[in-house]
Amino acid sequence: MARYDKRKDNTAAGVAEKEPRRREPRVTLSERITNAERRGPIDMPFFILVLMILAIGVVMVLSSSFARSYFLRADHDAVHFFRNQLIFAGVGVVVMLLVSIVPANWFRRYSGMLLLVTVIVLIAVLIPGIGQVRNGARRWIGIGDTLTFQPSEIAKITVIIFSAHLACLYKDRIKTLRWGTLPMLALVGGLAGLVILERHFSGTIIVGLVGVIMMFAAGTNVLYLGGLAALGGAGIAGLILLTGYSSDRVTAWLDPFADLQGGGWQIVQSLYAIGSGGFLGVGLGQSRQKYLYLPESYNDYIFSIVCEELGFVGAVLVLTLFALLICRGYWLALHAKDRFSSLVITGITSLVAIQTILNIAVVTNTIPATGISLPFFSYGGTALLLQLAEMGVVLSMSRDIPMRKPKKTEGDAEK
Amino acid sequence: MANTGLNAKKTTVDRPNKSMLRRTLILLTVCGIVAFIILAARLGYIMLYQHEYWEERAISQQTRETAVTANRGGIYDRNGNALAVSASAYNVFISPYEINKYGESADYIASELSRILGISYTDVIEKSRDTKSWYKTVATKISSDEADLVRELIKEGPSHDAEGKEQKGLKGVHIENDSKRFYPYGSLACHIVGFVGAENYGLEGLENYYDDYLEGTDGTVVRMQSSNGVEMLYGGYENFNDAIDGATIHSTIDVTVQGIAEKYLHEAIKENYIRDGGMVIVENVKTGEILALANANDYDLNSPWDISDEMREALELIPDETERRSELAAMQLEQWRNRAVSDTYEPGSVFKIITMAVGLEENVISENDNFYCGGKLTADQVPGRQTDLNCWKHAGHGDQNLKQAAQHSCNVAFVNIGFKIGASRFYDYIEAFGLWNKTGIDISGETSKGAWWSRDSFTKPYDKSSLAAASFGQTFTVTPIQMINAVAASVNGGYLMEPYVVSDIVTEDGEIVYRKEPTVVRQVISEETSKTVREILEAVVGEPEGTGKNAYVPGYHVGGKTGTTTKTVIQAATDQKVYMVSFCGVAPCTDPEIAVLVVLDNPAPQSESGIYTSGGVMAAPVVGKIMSEILPYLGIEADYQNGEEEYIDVRTPKVVGDDMRTARSKLAERGLSFTIMGEGGTVVDQLPSAGSEVAVGTKVILFTEEAHVDSEVEVPDLTNLSSAAAMRILNNVGLFMDSAGALPTNDKIKVSKQSVPAGTLVPYGSVIGITLVDNTELGMY
Repeated sequence: MARYDKRKDNTAAGVAEKEPRRREPRVTLSERITNAERRGPIDMPFFILVLMILAIGVVMVLSSSFARSYFLRADHDAVHFFRNQLIFAGVGVVVMLLVSIVPANWFRRYSGMLLLVTVIVLIAVLIPGIGQVRNGARRWIGIGDTLTFQPSEIAKITVIIFSAHLACLYKDRIKTLRWGTLPMLALVGGLAGLVILERHFSGTIIVGLVGVIMMFAAGTNVLYLGGLAALGGAGIAGLILLTGYSSDRVTAWLDPFADLQGGGWQIVQSLYAIGSGGFLGVGLGQSRQKYLYLPESYNDYIFSIVCEELGFVGAVLVLTLFALLICRGYWLALHAKDRFSSLVITGITSLVAIQTILNIAVVTNTIPATGISLPFFSYGGTALLLQLAEMGVVLSMSRDIPMRKPKKTEGDAEK
Repeated sequence: MANTGLNAKKTTVDRPNKSMLRRTLILLTVCGIVAFIILAARLGYIMLYQHEYWEERAISQQTRETAVTANRGGIYDRNGNALAVSASAYNVFISPYEINKYGESADYIASELSRILGISYTDVIEKSRDTKSWYKTVATKISSDEADLVRELIKEGPSHDAEGKEQKGLKGVHIENDSKRFYPYGSLACHIVGFVGAENYGLEGLENYYDDYLEGTDGTVVRMQSSNGVEMLYGGYENFNDAIDGATIHSTIDVTVQGIAEKYLHEAIKENYIRDGGMVIVENVKTGEILALANANDYDLNSPWDISDEMREALELIPDETERRSELAAMQLEQWRNRAVSDTYEPGSVFKIITMAVGLEENVISENDNFYCGGKLTADQVPGRQTDLNCWKHAGHGDQNLKQAAQHSCNVAFVNIGFKIGASRFYDYIEAFGLWNKTGIDISGETSKGAWWSRDSFTKPYDKSSLAAASFGQTFTVTPIQMINAVAASVNGGYLMEPYVVSDIVTEDGEIVYRKEPTVVRQVISEETSKTVREILEAVVGEPEGTGKNAYVPGYHVGGKTGTTTKTVIQAATDQKVYMVSFCGVAPCTDPEIAVLVVLDNPAPQSESGIYTSGGVMAAPVVGKIMSEILPYLGIEADYQNGEEEYIDVRTPKVVGDDMRTARSKLAERGLSFTIMGEGGTVVDQLPSAGSEVAVGTKVILFTEEAHVDSEVEVPDLTNLSSAAAMRILNNVGLFMDSAGALPTNDKIKVSKQSVPAGTLVPYGSVIGITLVDNTELGMY
């Protein structure tokens, strides 16, 4: 009760004015977002970090895409990509806030349905006529050119939510192979398998990695995880050796200059961009590498343009924002109300972390090219929309975190 | 509802266990902190440590460097007249690749370009076939008007876009900037100025000698370009490495003096039937500045590769193509040859100035010594010589002092002077007068020395034949520039100057990067000796006995020495006498400023031309005419002496409207007399009209009643008349006289030329110019 009143005071002066009437309070949408169902408010640090990263990301899409857009598009529409990204970012923020209203337990309640839908779209996309082929891979589904999404993107969140569900289901037997490892392994393996059918290498890696992190976070026996990691490592190695496509990337990684006009081109151009940045960068909008030198300058390699234009200072600032977001994410997981929320926040945070780390590692040629995009930065409407929706999930769960002061003793006593 | 639900859950809440929290912390540390530190370190390594490495490579990939041609510096004369300037020009090139790619018609392009630029249609077609090439130059250095037409063609020509749709605008024809050299004065001072080749490198003259200063430094425009070769929209990095324009050369040449010198050189070559050209040099004896330097073999600097019509005719007679080509090249080299610094000649008697100066300086002779000439020196008198050494006057000059020996240009006397000096000392002085080395004049192609003896052979005690010949300037050669410079040293107080044609070189910003101050190489003879030499030289020109009379200019104390030699080498080889006549004059001898050397190569024999072959007859008048024009131009004050005014020309004053008394005094003031036509008291008309240049003593006709009636009279033939006779005859028919050339000091001085040919009808009262020449028995050597 006390908490409720206190929160009411917090909301707005307007509410206080209406107090004398004592009528049923009409709950506005913004109230629902900030104060819905008498839950706590969304976590402002996390929310603001998302917005900051998103804002920088959208600006960088403009800067990194206009040369390509101008030169390569038939209509010479320099702001084409920026406009799309801006629209999706706007819609995405709304979606994020809407999702943050959704009661946290709904995610668990409908996790089965989510899995079912995911499996269906993952299979559907493989069917010619439904799935759209881009860059030689049939992995898009949807209407037209813009309103499409990759089912593998959904698979990522499904892995997180459903494995969290499984972990909660078998929380007492989590150390066992049968209950603690195999169900989640089956889930991760199944979804990763479906993604790999789309020839979506990076998607597979992410689904697999997120799955492993989920199992790790849920408390799966480290021995089994170790074995699994060994198996996975061998699997990736085998994949690289079997498909020439990937082994080319390794070659390009080891010596990008060996095949400058071929496999090495992209990474060399990326290094040119990053290296040109120096301490302060060439200035926002001043990138030269974006003038058709660096392929995917507004997509997978957008961070190279960030480095070139904003320099080491700007790049580290962006890294710091990501690191803060991720740390805040894990902090929220640590303080989450229950096991499921904690696991889901950990998963989503890890998903952002993995993609960010792998993307930047790729553009700096620290690891071989994988094709992982940079969250909130890389151009891609539906992917951005999904990422923001995932942030909405985290925000929704952040509402249930008990306020620190009154709960301080209560939380400790419970254990 | 929610509240109760919340409370209900609170009791059964499924809290994460400690292990989960620990693992989440591990994830936080790894994914949220450690990984980012590693990435930041990696970025730091690439962006900070390796920054320059990557940046350099990136820039080299992103930039296209275009050269910006520096404007070549101009060449100006001493008064700022432009001798050479650069102007914008354009080159046209085609890109066969693009012509092919965009389906443009090579036929259309070739025919249009040949129509606009007058270039070969087939050549363009030929070049357009190489469809792999992006760059084939079809026309160079076209004017901006032509370039405008080509631009119009490029704009309007039919083409196609990338999809094959028809479109205006040729993509396969391009224009690039270039610069072109213009020489406003054409052939004037061509051998000094020189010209540039196709690549704007100086090939000859100052253009070549000072190429480093003139060419400037080409700039570059470094432009960022997209991977597809288009300039970056904005934000692209651009670096202009400005072209540094070449510096401007200020020459010592004076186009007026140069023009005068060239005019009289060409005139002399025509009048005297000179077959192998000639040279003229005008030098400031005090500073070594060259005011003019010309060779008869001149050419238009704007088209230096074109040969003269005579040469072309000769060329067309050669049947063989290869031979013709090599002959053409030889002819071009010949016309470019700056003979005044590159060729050597036997100076002949002009060299006696040096012999005399050395003798006086070494005190082996004095002005009052007697130099007897019996007409020859026998072989016994000249050890080492097989034959007698004749003076040009076979009868001999008899007793004569030094001045007379010089006036007579007596070989015997000068051989004796040479003997008194002695071979070794003589040789030393030749070196000291700079006849041994390059003068250091700053023009391309100066040759170091002509044919000379080694010191050993020259100073052999038992053989004085070389010394004897050297004493009067024969059997050795020097360049004209060496000769005039040595003469300058002998009259300017004894200082051998370094001759030069460039006084300073100034950059675009006004910075002086080169300045030449008058440079004394050494003092060769004393001031006193020099003074004596000039007095004697003035006597050679100014006194009736002198062989240099034809160079006389009233009031300017012109001195000088004639020279006439046969080319020893050719004579020995072919037994034919090929003459070289010259005259070196200095003025004013009271305080010399200017030296003029004229050398004429191979006059036609007297049997053909009717002109006595000698420096005094052929070259001295040239020097005289040049002096008479340039000395007043250069502001050197006339100083009339000993009744010279008698012979000079005056301008008639305006007396129309004056009463008789005023008219009389005005005319008398200028040494003019008059006759009156009519009975009136006021002058109503005068002949010749006011401002005409006439000889002193001319009788001006004053009309006091009515103006004269216009009528025409026939010009009489004045050739070979004396000055006085000529004036009388002209006055009789109502014409007036203006004389030039030698002073009519004695009856031997005759009219050689008249400005209007005999028989021409001219208005009554016109002034006819005559040229007086002492055409008899002039100093041959």
